[in-house]
Amino acid sequence: MTSLRPNLKLMRLFEENDMEMKERIAILENYIMQRCLWQFHSRAWDRENQNNGILGITKTMLLGEEPDLSTPELKCYWVDAKCLVDGFKTKFPWVNEMNKEDIAAMMDGLKERIDYVTIHGSLNEELTVKLY
Amino acid sequence: MPYHTFKCSEMLPDREKHAVIKGPGEDITSALPLGNLNTVPGTITERGCAYCGAKHVIGTPMKDVIHMSHGPMGCTYDTWQTKRYISDNDNFQLKYTFATDMKEKHVVFGAEKMLKQNIHEAFDAFPEINRMTLYQTCASALIGDDMDAIAKQIMKERPGVDIFVCNAPGFGGTSQTGGHHKINIAWINNKVGTVEPEIKSKYTINYVGDYNIQGDCEIMTDYFNRMGIQVISMFTGNGSYDDLRAMHRADLNVLECARSAEYICNELRTRYGTPRLDIDGFGFDLLAESLMKVAMFFGDDCVEKAKAIIDEEVARWKPELDWYAKRLKGKKICLWPGGSKLWHWAHVIEEEMGVKVVSVYSKFGHQGDFEKGIARCSEGALAIDDPNELEALEAMEMLKPDCILTGMRPGEVAKKIRIPYLNIHAYHNGPYKGFEGWVRLARDLYNAIYSPVMNLAAIDISKDDFETDKGFMTRTMLSDPGVPREELHTENMYTGKMDIVTHLRDKTYDFPAPEPKADAAV
Ligand code: SF4
Repeated sequence: MTSLRPNLKLMRLFEENDMEMKERIAILENYIMQRCLWQFHSRAWDRENQNNGILGITKTMLLGEEPDLSTPELKCYWVDAKCLVDGFKTKFPWVNEMNKEDIAAMMDGLKERIDYVTIHGSLNEELTVKLY
Repeated sequence: MPYHTFKCSEMLPDREKHAVIKGPGEDITSALPLGNLNTVPGTITERGCAYCGAKHVIGTPMKDVIHMSHGPMGCTYDTWQTKRYISDNDNFQLKYTFATDMKEKHVVFGAEKMLKQNIHEAFDAFPEINRMTLYQTCASALIGDDMDAIAKQIMKERPGVDIFVCNAPGFGGTSQTGGHHKINIAWINNKVGTVEPEIKSKYTINYVGDYNIQGDCEIMTDYFNRMGIQVISMFTGNGSYDDLRAMHRADLNVLECARSAEYICNELRTRYGTPRLDIDGFGFDLLAESLMKVAMFFGDDCVEKAKAIIDEEVARWKPELDWYAKRLKGKKICLWPGGSKLWHWAHVIEEEMGVKVVSVYSKFGHQGDFEKGIARCSEGALAIDDPNELEALEAMEMLKPDCILTGMRPGEVAKKIRIPYLNIHAYHNGPYKGFEGWVRLARDLYNAIYSPVMNLAAIDISKDDFETDKGFMTRTMLSDPGVPREELHTENMYTGKMDIVTHLRDKTYDFPAPEPKADAAV
């Protein structure tokens, strides 16, 4: 199983005692874990693709940029990302107040947590099985 | 790790890591049972075999097919009719089951000749059906009958006939899950890509992992059709054999039960580039979001139609759901399905019906299913993998649930100790999918919990020591005392019809014209 690599940028952020950021990440993590299914594909490589694809597009959209929808696969990621963005913005109004730098840091932290919970820290012994 | 040891299983150390309690602050990185392992000798499992998983769960919901087992009668009989996967062709696949009825002499001398004869007899008896699925069982696998060769011979002798061979004998996996895997892979290897569908809409999907229990699948396909989406195939509830051979042509795979059908979606993604979108067809909130996701994949016109459906359905059914939710508030349930409902329902049933899920279990789920279920259920829930009957009894004694949501076998055990059970495999009065279906589930749950039958059943009438004038309690006495007077709204209990599926079969739909595809010719 891959070990959790420390994200230096994120650690600096937390060292600056941004407890609020940590709490916000925890809230969004909880929202994803209770509501979504996309993060639970059956193999580690598949989860990596899902997390990168969907959380990557979510970050792009929250930063007000246009996501790339040029393939059916990207469009499918976008569908889940769009639901996340809408959910974050309506359920947690503080997301709308954040500046771009904070949003980027929050999304990096969230990605790291989802990767940890579903891949690197997962107890699921089937994640590394070669075939489906 | 917060493992839970059952007293009854203390002498079975291998069971130690198969149950966990999600304690305060725990998540799936600290609370996860083992799963999808061979059943421990000495315990008594409720699991089915791999043949059962292939045939009973996935193969036989296909409607226009002779489903034949090559093996002893018992294998077939025990996988016949216990699930109500109805179909719009007068339930052919429910009414008839076929077996070669292997006996000792066939084990000794071989059963290929007899298999061939059986296949001809079946096609002769039902000349309007020219599709067949053929299932291996333990006996035919062990003697090595070459079913593929026989199927090829028959197809040559009877032009127009098509046969699918499924090599998933009972011992081919830890449980039914081994059979799910085998039939998924066999179908894509042998049948997908062999038929070209008629494309009627700009938007096409395969609806995968729904078995049309009491019409679930038909409820969902009605929504998709109303959104302008053509459902090329249903894998496999109410599904047609030839439609399922055309799965490669859909734009999107919409997946419900990932446990039984993710394999074919993963393969379609790899081989044909069709994306996989996992959805929840249960619960108002998750279903609404799921319909929106599918619609968004296709475009704004689809989104508008999905919104209209959601608004209409929620306005119609939410007051009735709330009527039950008020009366179910705080009731404790055990969510003990076979596989996917433990995660489809774990959170949304608490949110929308007010009940508390005190336990989730799965007979054949993998650890991935428990990850989903434990992530969704709330603190204190007991998660059990492949429980035996004694563990289930001990869990019920410990948790004191008001209802067990499970299948027939564990349900009957619960009834013995007078805990009501709701059949969420074959359903009581489904369908439970869709907005109205979710209200029907709430209604059935309400009736299960409050039925006076459970109290009456506790009375030993031979002793005649009960008050004969106070045996029956009314609804207002049983379920309404906790509801504030101004919220009683007696008019808002379920007002739907008994049969909400049949009328859908006569509906016609408008689809947006398909765009010509460069690779449409094969
Ligand atoms: S385990 Fe083998 S013999 Fe038993 S029902 Fe399954 S296929 Fe038949």
